[in-house]
Amino acid sequence: MSGDPLRYFRIEARELVDQISAGVLDLDQQPGPDLVARLLRFAHTLKGAARVVKQQEIADRAHEFEEVLIPHRTEDAPLATDQMRELLRLNDEIEARVAALEPAPAPGADVPAPPPATGPVAGPVAGQLEPGVPPETAPPPRAATADVDDLLDAIGEAHARFGPLRTGAHALDRLHRTAENLADQLRSARAGGADTARLGALRLAADLSALGRRLTDSVEQVERELDEIRGRAERLRLVAASTVFTALHRAVRDAADGQGKRVRFEGRGGDLRLDPHVLALVNGAFLHVVRNAVAHGIEPAADRAAAGKPAEGTVVVEVERRGRFAAFRCTDDGRGFDVAAIRRAARARGRLAPGAPEPDERALLDLLLRGGISTSAGVTEVSGRGIGLDVARDVADQLDGAVTLGSEAGRGATVELVVPLALLSVQGLVLEAAGTVATVPLDAVRTCVRLLPDQAATAAATGRMAHEGRALPFLSLAGVLYAGAAVPDSGPPGVAVVLAADGEAVAVGVDRLAGTSTLVVRPLPKLAPAAPVIGGVAMDLDGNPRLVLDAQGLVAAARNGRHVQAGAVPAAVERLPILIIDDSLTTRMLERSILESAGYQVDLAASGEEGLTKARARRYGLFLTDIDMPGIDGFTFVARTRADPALSGVPAILVSSRSSAEDRQRGAEVGADAYVVKGEFDQEELLAHIRRLVPS
Amino acid sequence: MSPDTVSIRRSDLRADFDRSFAEPARRYDREHVELLAVRAGDHPYALRLSQAAGLFPDRPVTPLPGPAAALLGVAGFGGGIVPVYDLAALLGHPLPERPRWLVLVGGAPALAFAFHRLDGHLRVPADTIVTETGDAGGSLRGMVPLPGGTRAIVDLPAARAAVHALTGHTDADEER
Repeated sequence: MSGDPLRYFRIEARELVDQISAGVLDLDQQPGPDLVARLLRFAHTLKGAARVVKQQEIADRAHEFEEVLIPHRTEDAPLATDQMRELLRLNDEIEARVAALEPAPAPGADVPAPPPATGPVAGPVAGQLEPGVPPETAPPPRAATADVDDLLDAIGEAHARFGPLRTGAHALDRLHRTAENLADQLRSARAGGADTARLGALRLAADLSALGRRLTDSVEQVERELDEIRGRAERLRLVAASTVFTALHRAVRDAADGQGKRVRFEGRGGDLRLDPHVLALVNGAFLHVVRNAVAHGIEPAADRAAAGKPAEGTVVVEVERRGRFAAFRCTDDGRGFDVAAIRRAARARGRLAPGAPEPDERALLDLLLRGGISTSAGVTEVSGRGIGLDVARDVADQLDGAVTLGSEAGRGATVELVVPLALLSVQGLVLEAAGTVATVPLDAVRTCVRLLPDQAATAAATGRMAHEGRALPFLSLAGVLYAGAAVPDSGPPGVAVVLAADGEAVAVGVDRLAGTSTLVVRPLPKLAPAAPVIGGVAMDLDGNPRLVLDAQGLVAAARNGRHVQAGAVPAAVERLPILIIDDSLTTRMLERSILESAGYQVDLAASGEEGLTKARARRYGLFLTDIDMPGIDGFTFVARTRADPALSGVPAILVSSRSSAEDRQRGAEVGADAYVVKGEFDQEELLAHIRRLVPS
Repeated sequence: MSPDTVSIRRSDLRADFDRSFAEPARRYDREHVELLAVRAGDHPYALRLSQAAGLFPDRPVTPLPGPAAALLGVAGFGGGIVPVYDLAALLGHPLPERPRWLVLVGGAPALAFAFHRLDGHLRVPADTIVTETGDAGGSLRGMVPLPGGTRAIVDLPAARAAVHALTGHTDADEER
């Protein structure tokens, strides 16, 4: 047992307090025996645990908490207001006492270290700007136990993968001894020993290659597992957005209570994981925003009834990822921003130049956002709207984000804070294309479809792919990543990954899928402007950046029809290169550019003689030769290659300015597969011949 | 000599000795300038070592599709991600061949330049460097006669300024 008896209690109590805090707020909104029973269970567990570690105060408060709840075990009716207040008070007291148990960071303290950057960050922002309200406690951004468990599982898995490497070392020892025995046999060289030795050597070679394969597999598996561990460990650094919902819910509840209103809170999109620093800042700002919504947005019950609205107001906080940004949106169903009041306040403070044209609603909201105007009729305990927005704007400035306001008179208001994501944890699907690797967030992937070569070719050529009865825009990942630069040789895409974003879908052609991995996406560095298809960068195991694609960007790129041209490139790539023989530099270069942009690899020869030498030195898919050349001319070149058994299988096309029937005839006689006239040079015709002749 | 003077002298010597390692070689003296003779594309240049924060061969650079043709991609340095620009492309004579050497530039935001060949490390008397009068513009500042020919000196801060201009980055961005 460690010297710190509270070590485990702290962890358990923290979790129970979180559950109690959230549960009490839920009870406020949705009373019912199930929830009461759950809260009683939490309180009871906490009471028991507190007694074991002699934390009598916590045990007593938990007991009082139970006492309040016990009469409500069987009823659906909401608790009386003073009972709710008492529960919340006890909840706060327990929370404070549990928090007080956290040890000061003493050297050598045997406690699990909290993840870094989880300190209270929002406090100063809220505290400085609004002296009337006690400083906010930062959200409790910490790793959930489940995340730690996942990480431990992944470490265990990686450890297990080392097994084969360990046995591999033994196998290597054994093979080493075998090799020594073999060497002994060869040295003694007894009669008939040579055969035994040869068999031994063959066996040894086979064993070695099997071992090599096994080791390679194991190393690959270990690498994959380590990659997963890295991703999970980085994920621990991030916390779920839902961790701030309880605090926001409580702020809404307290503000409503203080004003005698009934307001329900709803948090959405809490699964998104964010940097705790960002989350703490946003939480600090949103505490003001939701309080504003209650104080200034939600009308008193009588007004709501008169307006035909339900007596209970609603405040919704939604968190959503938009590519490289996170959007936090607070929506209420109150009266909306009081535009007339903003106008009056702006005028009273001299914000509107005398004689200037009347600003419209948009301009007034902008003015409100810029600060210094509160629409509150009197200074309430809960703060004027202006200050709340100042805090939101301040946070937006700190994080390089933006605040926008929306309002509909009588229907409600929206405050949206959009911040760039410095770090974002995603499950990614790893894609390979033309020798490069990129990752796409798994949540954007709808499905993956295997592509047959002719399907791939059609999709690449048309920029469209049929999928489930729809024609989806098709992009080749290689084309996207190389963005106009020459794409290295590779086969046609083997898999289409269907991605969805903004209600649209796009199919992305890749060579192969290389599994999924947990990764933390960082923003692109400054000074590295990238195409919108790139959403960010993640580090691989070697510390090298790996591109993370942006589904929205890909959809937009497909919509704009970009990369379709480039997308046609890899599909047309053939295995064997083409040899161009022409004494004219211009023609050589022209033909090369046509063929290379169609995805072929090309070699050049400036004469028939050079052509023959090159043809014999390498395997080609096609010869493309001029006729009129000094020395060996095109007819002769074709005739000689037809006569050579090693070269006769390679198709040949004659390209010439001669257009007479005799010349065509002669070309056919020497064995040319096609005859293209330079004067009527049509690159499509040429490419059509080549596609026909060169097998893919 | 009293034991005190001995111990003072000893600690002075130790401090001198330590300092000789702590101080970068580029501070060796004022009469000389440390240069890297490099080749960007097909052209020879010199870089002032004092302006470089590090030199790396064969560092993997992940290509990044985007609007800046001179941007080769991004590389990982100590957990950070650094944009890498092709010096030859920046100076107006790109080669298809990918450069092998990276030089990290001091200052912020993080930035590295890539060049094709390292010809050597030289120390030349400061007065052999021909400085141009007035601002010639561009990233070149001065020339240095070296064995094998005179080389133009690429001023890394000026090259950084060129990248800032290329990407629309302003110092105001940095202060936020």
